[in-house]
Amino acid sequence: MQINKFLLTGVLCALVFSIKAQAQNLSGFVKSNRGEPVPAATVRLQNSSLWTISDHDGHYRIKNIKPGTYILMIKAIGFKTQEKELSIESGKETTLNVALAESTEQMETVTVTGRTIAQETNRQAFNVTAVDARKLYNTTLDISSALDRVAGVRVRESGGVGSNFNLSLNGFSGNHIRYFIDGIPMDNFGSSFQINNIPINVADRVEVYKGVVPMWLGSDALGGAVNIVTSDRYRNYVDASYSYGSFNTHRSVINAAVTSKNGFTVQLNAFQNYSDNDYKVKVEAWDIYTGAFSPAARLRRFHDTYHNETLIANIGVVDKSYADKLLLGITLGQNYKEIQTGARMEAVFGGRHRRGNIIMPSLKYKKTNIAKGLDLTINANYNLGTERNIDTLNGNFDWYGSFKPLGANGESGRTLSKYKNNNGLATAMLNYRISETQSIALSNVFSTFNRKGRDAANPANDAFQGKKKTDKNVLGLGYSIDVRDKWSATIFGKYIYQNIINEGKTAGNSSMNKIGYGTAVTYFVTPNLQLKSSYELTNRMPEANEIFGDVENQNANPGLRPEKSNNLNLGAGYGFSVNTNNNFYVAAGAVYRRSDDFIYNRLDINQARLIADNREGVSTWGGDAEVRYSYKDWLSAGTTVTYQFLRNLQKYEPEYTGVSPLYRDQMPNIPYFFGNGDVSVSLKNVGRKNNSLTIGYNLLYVHAFWLYWPSRGAKDADAEKREVAQQLSHDVNFVYSLAGGRYNVALECKNLTNADLYDNFSLQKPGRAFYLNLRYFFNKNNHN
Amino acid sequence: MKTILQKTAAALAMAIVVSSCSKDENETTATRGDFILAVTPAASTGVADYLINTPQLESGKISTEENGIEQDGTYRYYVTHNGKFFSMLYGQQNPGAVTTYENINGKLTKKSNFRTETVQAFAPVNDDLLLVKIPRNIANPLANWYRVNTNSLLIEGEGTVDVHTPSNNGESAFFSWIKQVGNKVYAPYFSIVASGDEVFGTNHPDGAWIAVYSYPGMQLEKVITDDRTSFIGRYFTDGLAVVENGDVYAFSASVAIKNKVLTSTKPSAITRLKAGTDEFDRSYFFDFEAASGGMNITNWLYIGNNNFIVNATTRAEKGNYTIGKNIGIVNVVNKTFTKVDGLPPVDQIYSITNNNYTPKDGRYGYIGVNLKEGWGYIYKIDASTHTATQGLKVEGGVITAVQYLKSK
Repeated sequence: MQINKFLLTGVLCALVFSIKAQAQNLSGFVKSNRGEPVPAATVRLQNSSLWTISDHDGHYRIKNIKPGTYILMIKAIGFKTQEKELSIESGKETTLNVALAESTEQMETVTVTGRTIAQETNRQAFNVTAVDARKLYNTTLDISSALDRVAGVRVRESGGVGSNFNLSLNGFSGNHIRYFIDGIPMDNFGSSFQINNIPINVADRVEVYKGVVPMWLGSDALGGAVNIVTSDRYRNYVDASYSYGSFNTHRSVINAAVTSKNGFTVQLNAFQNYSDNDYKVKVEAWDIYTGAFSPAARLRRFHDTYHNETLIANIGVVDKSYADKLLLGITLGQNYKEIQTGARMEAVFGGRHRRGNIIMPSLKYKKTNIAKGLDLTINANYNLGTERNIDTLNGNFDWYGSFKPLGANGESGRTLSKYKNNNGLATAMLNYRISETQSIALSNVFSTFNRKGRDAANPANDAFQGKKKTDKNVLGLGYSIDVRDKWSATIFGKYIYQNIINEGKTAGNSSMNKIGYGTAVTYFVTPNLQLKSSYELTNRMPEANEIFGDVENQNANPGLRPEKSNNLNLGAGYGFSVNTNNNFYVAAGAVYRRSDDFIYNRLDINQARLIADNREGVSTWGGDAEVRYSYKDWLSAGTTVTYQFLRNLQKYEPEYTGVSPLYRDQMPNIPYFFGNGDVSVSLKNVGRKNNSLTIGYNLLYVHAFWLYWPSRGAKDADAEKREVAQQLSHDVNFVYSLAGGRYNVALECKNLTNADLYDNFSLQKPGRAFYLNLRYFFNKNNHN
Repeated sequence: MKTILQKTAAALAMAIVVSSCSKDENETTATRGDFILAVTPAASTGVADYLINTPQLESGKISTEENGIEQDGTYRYYVTHNGKFFSMLYGQQNPGAVTTYENINGKLTKKSNFRTETVQAFAPVNDDLLLVKIPRNIANPLANWYRVNTNSLLIEGEGTVDVHTPSNNGESAFFSWIKQVGNKVYAPYFSIVASGDEVFGTNHPDGAWIAVYSYPGMQLEKVITDDRTSFIGRYFTDGLAVVENGDVYAFSASVAIKNKVLTSTKPSAITRLKAGTDEFDRSYFFDFEAASGGMNITNWLYIGNNNFIVNATTRAEKGNYTIGKNIGIVNVVNKTFTKVDGLPPVDQIYSITNNNYTPKDGRYGYIGVNLKEGWGYIYKIDASTHTATQGLKVEGGVITAVQYLKSK
């Protein structure tokens, strides 16, 4: 119902604006002389009060201009300022595209001045890191593995392609972190569209907000947010890649767009992953019939095939008087995943699997300067996708692949369930620029969840008894002031409301609301020395999967309370050059978190499944640091280091009157010291002109950590205190680009030393793997 | 700027130092000895217990802090047999496991680990460990048994027994435990409806049954019955004891239920099977409920010389899963019950350990008493004086088992 309202609103708005748009307007496209869009360029009509700023795609638009002759000034950092004369005629739409020359003198003094959007993002007051995805287009990385290289972030994977992942941000993980794609919450996209199966090529950049989440990402994140910004940099292009590698892994990505001169556009992203994931693991194995024990067998995984296929298509218009962008789209996808192990490798399966699909129509609407300085963005989508869990083989497997029939309860709990979560989402955002430096924004995000399904093998399954429904609304209001390269500040508030309808065995309806607020301030001591600080009182509502269970691994806990946290960040960044050729960038940050009613997953009483529960309190302090170095334009190296200490502040455990022996103990099973290093060398004109060769190396280090409470149990080698061992992983890649990047051939080796790598206790990740990646990129710019 | 760099460097250095300090302890904090305590810390989801070796149980204190071998799982059950210590994982929907240790120089050392089914009864039989997974669904009439050879640590045999046939009353037989008696396996059981919401309920609350199986064939040879008591033992509780002269004693807790209400009309009592016979001794009946002033036995520990340390609940405390916090001494020949003095008041006790140690000298038993503060003590019970003496303090968790295995 709510969705319909929003759709209607969008259509009405579109009508209203098309009627209004009779006055004389000026619009156009700002690009560099290399053809790339220049965002955040100031576009000003001299001798008038009219001005605007180009958007991420380099587009600008000034409305309601009096007819006459003007001088248009276009100014952007890293570029030479340009002035152009033009005349505005009555009742006519004027178009003016501008190409800016790069400002060489500025480039030489400090290389970072010619900032990419990713670098611009990093200059916000928030504790944010943006990953420039474009630099990774010739790799086989998915989004989650690209994020693994960010300071403060650790992505824990349970296996190979398509395996379960858990991204942790300053020690927060799982549902404490929210995901967005172009600012739209991804909370309930289902298993077919997740950051571990979206290739990096779909993104332009990925922004990681640590601890304090901007108001415009309307959500109830506790510990931070990840925003995937997709590429609409090019209007007419094809970017296609295919890779093949170890464990019979195939991946393909096709991104393409066509835009006609009158603004009609079709955008397409399609991708596919397939892998047998049949890598060898070291495992405690026993014969299912005799119990014959082999403490360190090396065996191939035999039931771990994963594949997914996704198509995202958008059709609509751009640069119209009634809309900068109006797109109707659909996301279609499916995935198939065999489940090889339980939470431990000791529990091995040979028949369990999962399927899911996503059928999600969507609407995207964006219009700048509806009225002077007022921008509107509307998004809506509805996921009609289905999830299925299948466990119908009655019996057990061993690691040798032998099956022993037994009982009537499947391998882990007989199920043949099929359900829809019916997730709907609508967001609206109004941004008003009071002046060149100040703006206020109002945002509202509404989401709904309504699970319906059945379990053919277990009709009494409580997951499908009665209504399981939640509605959530997040309303945000914020004010920002931004004096470019001097200082900026923002202050915001969020009001979150959630209503839960729960029928069945664990019946109980509830509604809850919370108010949160935050602020972020940054100050530039010099344009290249930045200090930042941010704070937020965050609240997170329990997720539908935590309240109702996820049908597969998670049990319901309808009594779960919202969690809240006080998050504080301090940071500094400094860029400088030595002898003009040696460029350095150093950044460091400190974080403090104090969470109450902290929601964490514990094992249920039979250890078969997880259940979300509240902990009285958890505190975190930590810091991360990043150093980057480049020499001229061919050598680049960097390192990030993160340390974080999470402490249990629950003083009394239920049922006991004495102080808990675990009070103030370090939280278990959370990586607390880790880092990355990378070096890359780019050689230009190798073989022939416009061909380049890049050789890159990546190092990942994760310090060992304990699975269970660190203070309990003996730690000597033979005491078997369960530890997730130190990880040291080396990746190497070679990229040969021909014809200025139109054709690319890449060879990648992951886990070069074939080390036994674990992110989670006993769940071994793949050994040494090779991938060959071919990519074709073609861009035709029709703005000329 | 310089200071920022310095601070960054200092922070990094600190992080490295902190992280390297927190490891590399070569000097061990693990204790050694022939006694083995299983201790569960509160809030330790994922860890059933820490197994701590200790040289004695009489005094001093010991802790799970930096001490003990982690045992995976929510529940683990322990048994020592044939010079080895077995740790059995229990999880209803999860596979079970058997982990085997030897005690070498006073430290448990892992020998083997394999997955089995979660079983509801296990016991040493000859050189084997017999494990039985018992169905609780009337649609499934077969209990699975596994015979683990404790020398080879291999599953040497397995099979099924039909749990509908022993009573043949339309209900399912659920073994409360199994026990080797002579060269047979005795399996006392309770009759359960095993369907719908009435899984462990019964329409036959006033009978006792022991199914007798051959070994190693596990063929049902006989069902020994008695109508003077309710069923023998309780869920996951050994209700049989073989004394020195070969007589077998059995206790009934009288906790049969229907619709979640206790329904038996029989008192909690102790009965007997004379050595060499396979019938209840009709001339022997010890009405425990009468002797104890209305209490019922929930568990016992045979300490030798016809003496038992028993746990009991009062009439108010009685429940089908409640484990008694009242401790007394029973002499089965003299039919006497005496409460033990010197234990903490019942309202301060969180739990009494279910799996305890006795040297079987007829006099002493060592039992774990856990306090609501979150720690516990080993109490040394002297059957001759009916007194309990506070011994070893166990910190950082509650005691779930007290075992002994002489080290090699």
